[in-house]
Amino acid sequence: MNDGADTVLIIDDEPKIRALLRDALVADGVTVVEASTGTEGIGAALEARPQLIVLDLGLPDMDGVAVCRAVREWSSTPILVLSARHSEEEKTTLLDAGADDYVTKPFGVPELRARVRAQLRRTRMRPVPGGDAPIRVADLEIDVARKIVRRGGVAVHLTPTEWDLLHELVTHDGRTLTHRQLFHKVWGQAHGDPQGYLRVYIAHLRRKLEDDPYHPRLLLTDAGVGYRFDSEPSAE
Amino acid sequence: MRPLSRAGLWVGWLAALVITTLAMSLLRDQLDKAHIALLYLVLVLGGSATGGRAVGLSLATLAFFSFDALFLPPYGTLAVRNPLDWLVLLSFLITSLVATQLLNRAQERTISAQRRAGEIERLSILGAETLNAGVATEALDAIAEVIRSALAVDRCDILAQQGESLALLARAGATPAETSSNDLTADGLTEWVAERGLPAVMRGDHTSQVGSRGWEAEGDPWLSQGDVRVLLVPLLARERMVGVLRIMNREQIELHAEQRAFLRALSYYAALGVERVRLVAVAERAEAFRQADALKSALIATVSHDLRTPLTTIKALAHRLAAGGDADARSIEEEADRLSRFVSDLLDLSHIAANAMPMRTELNAAEELVAAARQRLGGALEHRDLRVIVADGAPLLLGRFDLVQSVRVLVNLIENALKYSPADTTVELSVARRGDRLAFEVLDRGPGVPDGEDSLIYEPFYRPAGTRPDAGGAGLGLAIARGLAEAQGGSVSYAARSGGGSVFTFELPAADAPVIEDSSARV
Repeated sequence: MNDGADTVLIIDDEPKIRALLRDALVADGVTVVEASTGTEGIGAALEARPQLIVLDLGLPDMDGVAVCRAVREWSSTPILVLSARHSEEEKTTLLDAGADDYVTKPFGVPELRARVRAQLRRTRMRPVPGGDAPIRVADLEIDVARKIVRRGGVAVHLTPTEWDLLHELVTHDGRTLTHRQLFHKVWGQAHGDPQGYLRVYIAHLRRKLEDDPYHPRLLLTDAGVGYRFDSEPSAE
Repeated sequence: MRPLSRAGLWVGWLAALVITTLAMSLLRDQLDKAHIALLYLVLVLGGSATGGRAVGLSLATLAFFSFDALFLPPYGTLAVRNPLDWLVLLSFLITSLVATQLLNRAQERTISAQRRAGEIERLSILGAETLNAGVATEALDAIAEVIRSALAVDRCDILAQQGESLALLARAGATPAETSSNDLTADGLTEWVAERGLPAVMRGDHTSQVGSRGWEAEGDPWLSQGDVRVLLVPLLARERMVGVLRIMNREQIELHAEQRAFLRALSYYAALGVERVRLVAVAERAEAFRQADALKSALIATVSHDLRTPLTTIKALAHRLAAGGDADARSIEEEADRLSRFVSDLLDLSHIAANAMPMRTELNAAEELVAAARQRLGGALEHRDLRVIVADGAPLLLGRFDLVQSVRVLVNLIENALKYSPADTTVELSVARRGDRLAFEVLDRGPGVPDGEDSLIYEPFYRPAGTRPDAGGAGLGLAIARGLAEAQGGSVSYAARSGGGSVFTFELPAADAPVIEDSSARV
């Protein structure tokens, strides 16, 4: 680990895909460690202490969800999952198990590189994005520490629930939070129709923060999975 | 309980009568008329109790004459001197006749009750067998055999309605040798019975006659008309024709009242048995389908994985070549994307066709659906204009639908509009609530759908004539859109747009906003 270069661990049983990912990431100045099975991958994660793990779900020895959980037991290293299945259920399960992002096959190399960069940048920005300086996006200013939101210089009034929801999303900038994760954080115990509540509150937030709720740029929907706050609207 | 033969009974009672008469005639002077009458009465009753009506009536008649001739003066003739003796004589005769009748009727009732009890027992055993038999057709064989033996006929068949034709499910006994050569299996008539649901008979002279329902009723003369050799009874389960019961005999079929009632009861069993055979077959078929379906799902999952993984490699390699300036490599990358999409579409279509698309209908906002569709379209909207039209000041529009699947419906409709309309035109998306529906209208200025092809456009692989071969997609978009819409209580419909172009309307069930306690949360 020389002069602070990022290390990425690739866990994939397909040598060809491993090679492609390695070539693409090395070009970005990243050190790559490879593993071809889940067990090997968990060992490598312990040993190499990577800044990011790219995990393929079609591993011969272990379920991808199990790998996520195993890593999460002792590490908060971001995990980017690659999957051939295009199901929202699977994506939700993986995010709930601690994965940070999810890319479906067949993916494009540029897309994957962008996602890897975003994850690495976020790791560097820790501990809490916006913890010190307010987040500024377009005409919006969100001061997490002082619980103040301004739009075009004018203070926006948020209810406590709306603030909790926004806070949760903003502090996980760029990362999709599942319905369950959001609901547990904001409401705690589930009562009534959690999905319905969540949707209505998001709609309210959008009306207060977005120019056009039919074309949101900050509070994005990951259909069937959850929501994410995106301070870089260009990454749509 | 009949160790004594009938002849023995006759001889015994006649002997008893003679001995009693002789004994009484020896003591004639000491005996009163009442003693004689009573003794004779005892004999008559005894005879009719053990020997039945015939013995009883014969004894009564003989006793009457010997009473008159031997014990009422003048002796030795049938004449009676004292007119009052006629009274005694007639009283005796009437008493003995009535007593005989009553006794016999009571006995007949007992016998009939015993027979019925026997039949009920047989039916209950049969019912248990019907339910117990491991193989449904075995139960039918048992029923056929019981019917054959209970009616004492040569053969009993149970035929089931299977599709258009009748199939022989069970048979008992052999075809009567003399009739098999003739056309007494009555195939044509059997089919007629199955078709109409009415009973029919065929006689020894090959004439046939149709009956009506309720022919089993006691005293119905239909079955007794002529030399009936074949009896065909329709089998109905819950008022539905399920098959035919065919009974054949080399001699005339004669059924007494109990046998008819028995046959009626048994035909219910037979109908239920036939129905059971059908249901077992249906269940087996369903199980086979289920297995085939599970296999298909496993296959599809494997195929999609094994197809998408190499596609990733192909795409990545092509991308690297394209970055190095190879123009063809760019096409390879695009085709890989198309192939991947096609695989996804085929998988979806097979799920929709199998009614196995998982649906999570929940409270969702219309704006969320539009926003997610827009996000999904991503790059496709970079060079094209999509204008969303919502009435000013419209409240939060809510509906009950599956967001993921609805996004796909809307994306497919918008993609279609983009694909078939000129690049410099705007595609519009209007959102509104109409009564209890949310309506999303996708409007374009493309060529529209050719006349008369309105219903064809939802067929998989449909593409309008003259579509450029590189238009992308395989013509599955609308089929999938409609399938997904309908699976969640919505619809997709087409109308020509005034001024040219198409309007595709996607409707979903609307919903009202839930009451939320956080009062300051109102917009």
